[in-house]
Amino acid sequence: MSFRHLRKSFGGRKLLDLGPFAIGEGEAYVVTGDNGSGKTTLLRILAGLEPGEIAGFEFQGAALTHGKLPENVRHDIVYVHQHPYLFHTSVAHNIGYGLAARGIDGAERARLVEQAIAWAGVNHLRGVPPTKLSGGEKQRVALARAKVLKPRLFLLDEPTANLDGEARGQAIALIRQLVQDNNSLLIACHDRELIELPGMRHFHLENGKLLEV
Amino acid sequence: MDFLASTRQAFALLFSGDAELWTIIWISLRVSLLALAIATPPAVVLGYVLAQKRFPGRRVLVVLIQGLLSFPTVVVGLILYILLTRQGPLGSWALLFTQEAMIMGQAVIAFPVLAAFALAAVQGADPRAHETAVSLGASPLRAAMTTLLEVRFAVVAGVFNGFGRVISEVGCAMMVGGNIAGVTRNIPTAIALETSKGDFAQGIALGVVLMLFALGISIALALLQGRGGLK
Repeated sequence: MSFRHLRKSFGGRKLLDLGPFAIGEGEAYVVTGDNGSGKTTLLRILAGLEPGEIAGFEFQGAALTHGKLPENVRHDIVYVHQHPYLFHTSVAHNIGYGLAARGIDGAERARLVEQAIAWAGVNHLRGVPPTKLSGGEKQRVALARAKVLKPRLFLLDEPTANLDGEARGQAIALIRQLVQDNNSLLIACHDRELIELPGMRHFHLENGKLLEV
Repeated sequence: MDFLASTRQAFALLFSGDAELWTIIWISLRVSLLALAIATPPAVVLGYVLAQKRFPGRRVLVVLIQGLLSFPTVVVGLILYILLTRQGPLGSWALLFTQEAMIMGQAVIAFPVLAAFALAAVQGADPRAHETAVSLGASPLRAAMTTLLEVRFAVVAGVFNGFGRVISEVGCAMMVGGNIAGVTRNIPTAIALETSKGDFAQGIALGVVLMLFALGISIALALLQGRGGLK
């Protein structure tokens, strides 16, 4: 994914004013910045969840109009909220939701869901209603729900915020694996351990500009 | 009037399987449930659209729906009567004084209740539910269905409230149904008629049935709340 220029203003205040930026295949980026610097907004704009002014927006070499992302592009980008939302169904249904949306049904979906459940280590949570899961467990289910779709780009918003101890370690282990498997990731976070993952490039967002650290 | 004697007689009527009484109850249930079945899908769609989309005239529609919540049912009956009367624009349909006319009237009465509940339910939904569905690749229709499923308890609460409003309304049913025995006589119109005739036993028996419906709705809503749907 690349763009030549990305701008976003709130009530006359320019929040983002980014120059050329590109995320290559298999590259992982961390974006840090103070609270309110626009990290989440940047991810949400790229995910198509928030309007923004983008010039020269391209994905896989194809020019895009922001706000009207074609289905194949929408299917190649997955955004995970800081506090992931799980549907009030089951863990397995949550992980299989995107597969169902892509028309993958029956045995194939069940097989992929099983793989994702094993990958995220959430097999023991199968029978637990999603509303009863802890923050760390929700984050792992959300990462499994994203990974099972094999997107070309993961947009992860503060995946370890509000997690500590074992839960944080488990989330970092899953993200490390995504990086090692040559997935493209753009992560908004402050977590030193994530920033220092091998292969991770670090950008800092300040005064609306992205600066490589 | 000997109130106790009438009440005793009312329960005797209820438990003896009195055909006339149970026909009235059946007509009430049939008309109200069919009216809800017709009104619920478009009302929920309208509530969803008003909650999720921004378009010119949206606020006017919201105010209109809220205003229609307290619209007198007898006025709905009057408008429908004018439309369906032999000289009216829909007179050729020959629906006046039929159950179909009552169903139309009750669907109109239930519609704003159902739409208002759906609107409030979707507005109160966690915005991440829709965003998550979209981000996982759901089409607009699938994302809408997912959002509605997430707030299903609040939407169903609207259906119960709509049922409560139409099962007990008398004005519209009387005007467009005509209170014809065995055809369009439902619980509220029968209570009004029997009371005016001085036959309190049947009125009390039907009143008990109406109150049991109200109790049933309250229990169903409490069960929904217990399942965590409503906070």
